[in-house]
Amino acid sequence: MCFKNLPIEFDSAGNATLKPGAADPYLYTETPVQTPIEDDPEKMRELLERNGHVRRVDFDPVTRVAGALAFHTVVDLDNREVLETASMATLFRGYEIILQGRDPRDAIFISSRACGVCGGVHANASALAIEMAFGISPPPMGVVARNLLQAIEYLYDHPIHLSLLAGPDFSEPAMRDTNPEIWEKALSTRVKGRATHGYEFMSEIMTDLTPLTGKLYLEGLHYTRVAREAYVLIGGKFPHPQTVVPGGVSTTIDTSDLNEIMLRMVQYFDYGRKTIAIWNDICDFFYEVNPKYRDIGTRPKSMLEPGQWDDPYAYDGTYENADDWARERWAPPGVIVDGELVTTSVKMLNAGVEEFVEHAFYEEWVGTTGGPSGSYPFPTDPSGNPLSPYHPWNKQTIPKPGGTSWKEKYSWSTAPRWDRQAMETGAYARIWAAAQAPEFSHARFIEPTGKSLKVDLPKAELPNDLVEWKVPETWGAFERNRGRAYCIMYTAAIAYDNLLIAYDLLRKGGPDARMSVPYKVPKDHRIGVGLWSAGRGYLTHHLEMDNGVLENYQILTPSTWMASPKDPFGNPGPYEEAVMATPLLENYEKPEDFKGIDVLRALRSFDPCMPCTTHIHTDERTISREVVTCACGAEGNHAH
Amino acid sequence: MAYQRTGFGEDMKLQTVPNAGAVFGANAPIGLGGLGGSPDGPLNIVHVFWIAGMSCDGCSIAATAATNPSVEDLLLGRIPNLPKVVLHHPVLNPGAGTELMRPMKAAVNGELGAPYVVVLEGSVPDDQAFPTDDGYFSAMGGGGFDPDTETDQPNRVTDWLWKLAPGAAAYVAIGTCATWGGIPAAAGNITGSMSLMDYLGKDYRSALGVPVVNVPGCSPVGDNFIDVVQAVLLFLQGIAPLPKFDDLGRPAWLFTETVHRHCPKAGYYEEGVFAEEPGDNQCLVEIGCWGPVVQCNIVERGAINHMGGCMVAGAACIGCTMPGFPDKYSPFYKAPPGSAISGGMSKMYGGAIRRLRRLSMRKLNREPLWDKTGEVPSPWAEKHKKPTGTDKTMSFFYKKLQYNNSVNQAKRNKKQPIPQSRDILSQKGL
Repeated sequence: MCFKNLPIEFDSAGNATLKPGAADPYLYTETPVQTPIEDDPEKMRELLERNGHVRRVDFDPVTRVAGALAFHTVVDLDNREVLETASMATLFRGYEIILQGRDPRDAIFISSRACGVCGGVHANASALAIEMAFGISPPPMGVVARNLLQAIEYLYDHPIHLSLLAGPDFSEPAMRDTNPEIWEKALSTRVKGRATHGYEFMSEIMTDLTPLTGKLYLEGLHYTRVAREAYVLIGGKFPHPQTVVPGGVSTTIDTSDLNEIMLRMVQYFDYGRKTIAIWNDICDFFYEVNPKYRDIGTRPKSMLEPGQWDDPYAYDGTYENADDWARERWAPPGVIVDGELVTTSVKMLNAGVEEFVEHAFYEEWVGTTGGPSGSYPFPTDPSGNPLSPYHPWNKQTIPKPGGTSWKEKYSWSTAPRWDRQAMETGAYARIWAAAQAPEFSHARFIEPTGKSLKVDLPKAELPNDLVEWKVPETWGAFERNRGRAYCIMYTAAIAYDNLLIAYDLLRKGGPDARMSVPYKVPKDHRIGVGLWSAGRGYLTHHLEMDNGVLENYQILTPSTWMASPKDPFGNPGPYEEAVMATPLLENYEKPEDFKGIDVLRALRSFDPCMPCTTHIHTDERTISREVVTCACGAEGNHAH
Repeated sequence: MAYQRTGFGEDMKLQTVPNAGAVFGANAPIGLGGLGGSPDGPLNIVHVFWIAGMSCDGCSIAATAATNPSVEDLLLGRIPNLPKVVLHHPVLNPGAGTELMRPMKAAVNGELGAPYVVVLEGSVPDDQAFPTDDGYFSAMGGGGFDPDTETDQPNRVTDWLWKLAPGAAAYVAIGTCATWGGIPAAAGNITGSMSLMDYLGKDYRSALGVPVVNVPGCSPVGDNFIDVVQAVLLFLQGIAPLPKFDDLGRPAWLFTETVHRHCPKAGYYEEGVFAEEPGDNQCLVEIGCWGPVVQCNIVERGAINHMGGCMVAGAACIGCTMPGFPDKYSPFYKAPPGSAISGGMSKMYGGAIRRLRRLSMRKLNREPLWDKTGEVPSPWAEKHKKPTGTDKTMSFFYKKLQYNNSVNQAKRNKKQPIPQSRDILSQKGL
């Protein structure tokens, strides 16, 4: 039984059904969010009387994340705690409405362009949704080529985060500016990973994490390019690949392509070993300096991963068999709630998803077509599992741009929930779900143990040290970064495994080595879903088509889960939750000195990627451009 | 409901902190963020404000892929004669919030003290058409622009764009969204998105008198962008010639040719051989390639570090560098209508040309020595075809034409002695 909050139970055969009795099973009563401190005179008075160090601290924009994220906080700088948070996605482009009414063949290349940081993942997810709707699936080589593309992509994606986005927060200039006493300590602290990365003191690592001048920063930038060189050999270009097509790939792969890819891929064996050693040393050092660093960005260990990298012989493109082929993936699906793996079924993962818009710039759609108890398009999935009216297949969001209000609407991100709980997702969720996978079909270089995940790749220049990521006991920003570092090795293993399979398919030739299958665009009513994760975690594309035209197309992305505003149950989104729990360990004497590095470390550890976070679905209704008048403009004397 | 705070006196508001997000402070690396520079004398420092509108950040990612030169080459001032570039970029900037926005506000207010270039990635939404000052489709930074009337609301990107325009030394649109409108401006969009040129109007000229420079592509080739930056800076330094731009403001040296002209598969088109399904190696026109009419250089320059490129990898061109993308190239994977005529003709005459070429190749793929001995010394084929009577006749006329008015190398070869140590292993009895 994986659901605690949704009205779903399981019969003796294990089939999911709606709990009997409830007339309106998915109905909920909205819990209003707490009145923002600045709107609550009593609370303000109380706080300001307690100490004079309560401040409003806004980070707009949050830099060193992909895309448009702003973050609002109210902090108590005396007690070193965060009192209020609001996560704001500040961009809306309308990709999904642009996809509506189009030929489904346009979906792969248009949806791929929703995100320019990890565009390839959308192409793959879209292809899966289309294949389900069209009733086709690629030949084994087509699947392997996609696997290669996606694995190689992460060899660019993880380094860009660790080196260019998160790394600078642990660099010498940042340490000197925010915690000079820790920098002093780093100067005399010897680190463990010297044999692997070559650094003797923590301070040397910090110096080399410095943006633009640091060796680790520049090396990370270099490694983002090496992987992209390999990627474009079979993807054509990056970040928007040009070779993913319905039923396979449009790639001409020969041995020299594979040789050139291998030449680049194997460089990540050593780079992965080195990066792991660096981040292990960073975590050890900060935990040693102050155990409270474990609490930066902490929140419940609740996360989800739909899985990715299909088995070339298992994937058949059907929803009917989705649970089976998804479990055969190199990254098997999993939902983890409070540290427990509650399901490995992608159908249950799908059935548990809802999106809410109480605090996002959209109008409600449930109720506009008869209410939760009224009819909605898909009360069940194609296998008969119950779906909520708030599920993406049923979603009809109507955008409503307006003024920003912490109590009402303040973000273009919706609030996705699984079993009505806030979930995070990402590289660490992937490695976590893989580590706990009950069965794992690709053991050549990867071994899940239940409590850890071992990766055993051949030696390169560095010796073959078995790499083992252990499921962490405490959860927070440092563990997210550490997990991502291990994922370089995990992903390199998947890339290498698929490369060897590609060589083998080339050697054998025959129909399995073909790149694609022919197809016709069906003219009847079809639905499909691409359950295929992104570098930053959860990704789904849900589509509905009829008469050869897309009726509805919905993209749900990892950062929508995590940048989520508050939900109707009064619960914050993961960024909001994690920052609320973050102790302010920065060294400041007076409020004017406060920079907020611990908040930023917490946020960046999620690897936010905002471009594809905001998007819309809507019916034919005209979009209202009316906005409610804001009173704040009249308050000219308010210091920002 | 808008954010309201009523009923508070001056004493009841929360103070803010002045340096939120400025985690590098005075230690910030020079080149990424920060203030500084001099407007006088030779150009030695240029600030670049990189702004993302209705964007996917793909152009930023593409720019970090450039290698000739790389972004860090420019930022570190590694290239002699180029001014040092100080980049203010929402994805790369070390500091957050105020530390990024402060120099931009200084530029808007004419207080930057150094020339600046604005780069826009992403299209421009119709936010200025909202009936009030609230609400946005794209926002960056908050608090308004005037210190006397600060608000709590996010600042619209469209406000930044027009406010920065008069003082900018140059305005560069990177990527197809900013240059032409791209996907956010495609059919069905409800954001009223448009290109930078459409937004600023045809009369716009930068402070140096330059109209908007357009570097298209979805995503663009990173080296194309850096190439343009380099060309413009070298011109301003009095070294390179005036860069030429075409009538849509594209760098002419990069975007005049069609991508088909340099396509590795163009020869298949010439011989009338076409891919039938994705993954086939021949000309991709019939599986939806628009290359013959698309201005782009990706197959020539490569996608990254001279590697890849759409058709190089086997992918059909969908016109992503062009005005009208995506709608004028939709549906993807379907042969463009023009290909029925041009492809059909190419199949006819190309088919004839291909057959003649194969005939020539049968002659050409042999050393003169083998012609003389009548034996090809390669066991890689079980049997090598002997020249037929037709081949010999063809060859006779071919040679006549080829060596006419020149030296007949075929005749000279006939007189060449056969090397005595030919087939040495047989001679040694091995």
